[in-house]
Amino acid sequence: MDSSSLQPLLLFLQSLISGILVGGVYALIGIGLTIIFGVMRIINFAHGDIMMIGMYLTYNLFTLAGIDPFLSIVVCIPLMFLFGGLLQKVFINRVLNALPQNQILLTIGLGLIMSNTMMLIYTSDYKILTTEYSSGSFSLMGLSISQPLAISFVITAVITALLYWFLMKTDMGQAIRATAQDRQAAQLMGINVKRMSIIAFGLGAALAGTAGALIAPTYYIFPQIGSSFTLKAFVITVLGGMGSVIGATLGGILIGIAESLGAVYISSGWKEVLVYVIFLLALLFKPSGLLGKSRM
Amino acid sequence: MSIITEIIETLKKTPPARLLTFLALTGALFIFPQVVDSPYALHIMILVFLSVIMGGSWNILGGYTGQYSVGHAAYFGSGAYATMMLMQFREIPPWFGMLAGVAAAIAAGLIIGSICFRLRGPYFVLASIAATEIMRLSALNLKDLTNGAEGILATEIPPLSIGSALITDFSTKAPFYYIGLVFALAIIGVTWLVQHSKLGYCFQAIREDQDASHSLGINPGMYKQLSLTISAAFTSLAGSFYAVYIGFIDPTTVLSLDMSVQIVLICIIGGIGTIFGPVVGALVLVPLSEALRSNLITQTLISAGLVSEESPVGQFLKENLAHAHVLIYGILVVVVILFMPEGVLGFLRKRLAERRSKTA
Repeated sequence: MDSSSLQPLLLFLQSLISGILVGGVYALIGIGLTIIFGVMRIINFAHGDIMMIGMYLTYNLFTLAGIDPFLSIVVCIPLMFLFGGLLQKVFINRVLNALPQNQILLTIGLGLIMSNTMMLIYTSDYKILTTEYSSGSFSLMGLSISQPLAISFVITAVITALLYWFLMKTDMGQAIRATAQDRQAAQLMGINVKRMSIIAFGLGAALAGTAGALIAPTYYIFPQIGSSFTLKAFVITVLGGMGSVIGATLGGILIGIAESLGAVYISSGWKEVLVYVIFLLALLFKPSGLLGKSRM
Repeated sequence: MSIITEIIETLKKTPPARLLTFLALTGALFIFPQVVDSPYALHIMILVFLSVIMGGSWNILGGYTGQYSVGHAAYFGSGAYATMMLMQFREIPPWFGMLAGVAAAIAAGLIIGSICFRLRGPYFVLASIAATEIMRLSALNLKDLTNGAEGILATEIPPLSIGSALITDFSTKAPFYYIGLVFALAIIGVTWLVQHSKLGYCFQAIREDQDASHSLGINPGMYKQLSLTISAAFTSLAGSFYAVYIGFIDPTTVLSLDMSVQIVLICIIGGIGTIFGPVVGALVLVPLSEALRSNLITQTLISAGLVSEESPVGQFLKENLAHAHVLIYGILVVVVILFMPEGVLGFLRKRLAERRSKTA
């Protein structure tokens, strides 16, 4: 076979791999949303905005202190965890028993406050974080792989594995899963449900913030970037099954692949339409998601 | 005929004082442009009317039928785009474009409704957002049809005339004022009808308990679709009105998630499921966000001597506060949800009732 007949296959594999790499970061955002939903039964509409704050945090650490964006997650994770816990303690805990629509609106309001506050501080200009490896790539079996995407995928995989271990093996992880399964029963078993909620929201925010830090070198940074990622996170969690961590991982990678293949074979303008069409079809025909039954 | 007798019956039951107040206020609003000729005051009033139409039409679906659509930008955008595309590309006057917009919005509502109404709660909210995003991205990508991200700029509005008699050439703000006022009164009237008619009782039954209402013989699918049709038609009118008045539309303003959220917030802040909730919401939101947009707040802070104009804080506020008028929406909605879950109107009513029971 000559190389020209291999060309379409190479193109396919190339876009498949970049889809999987981007999907890893999407999965991280989706897992955060799904943990919050699992424990609180609240859909966090501010999720993308929390991610956006993570992006700016990384941007500042890089421009002011010269900290590498991938190293900055060491600072980003604890700070965003505290931020999320604070949001839960001050705002979300008050509406746990309110109407679901009021919970949604509260998180929408919080998201608006975050994005507009950032706009006040940083204006709505697009910021770019350029490191020496931002546009770097290496080749693997004839395929070229973006360096920042590959690093972020590895970090994502490690974080996901750690999180899974935390939820499955530690006492606190079990308490969080118990709260997700049945809030009242968990409370009767002596689990401090309010505390678990704060930890769960903190975890969700930390994951979103980390995702923000990881994509900071490859995306434009601007205050309104959040809402499109919030929507993407919804698609991922619904696709995987609300409350399922493995489902969200799978959903994230699926959406990454769909976007990447859509951009190559349809057009980059229509790739997001494809994502929403998949989303609506999933809602209609498999509303419990791919792995909907197992909660976390 | 039965509708008319029903209306008269309900009107008889309404306290005459309330009816008279409403009529007096309406009359005052009709005289307003004759007395005040400041274009800025008229501009604010027009924005208030626009918000009333937007919030009021969402109220029919969200407030009375309990379907929290966060995708009303789809219908707003249908009206805006149909009107502007026909006016700019085909030279069809906006009042016909407006009707085309209503038809487009109802058609969009049929498609979106047939998908979304199978879902409930958070899933319905998410589906309504996704459907609207598909419309926004389509408007962005179908460049030949919609001009894509560049948007459509209105060059001139054809004058309105009946026969040979010229009614208005839209050179002042007054015609917009009256059109906005009439639309706003229409949506208030429709909301009133919904509250007091059998159709509206079916809507409210679905809101209270969809399964129970189904077992009583109300077809939830049909009534939800009907409610969406009314709501979409009026939202589309608001969109057409916005497009012609502002004179520019693009996908990121009229079809965005922010627009959908703004429509919901007008209603939530005022008081959901009440006739005058959207009016209160508009009266709270429009002046506040205008004050921020026109830097009124910064100027007040400076002239009150709280912040010096030369200080870095003063400079910062002066430059940036105008861009962040949406911030006020965020703060308001958080405050309303936490402290007045029934909206400003519900909160005031409760306070009033408390005071009455104390004095009694």
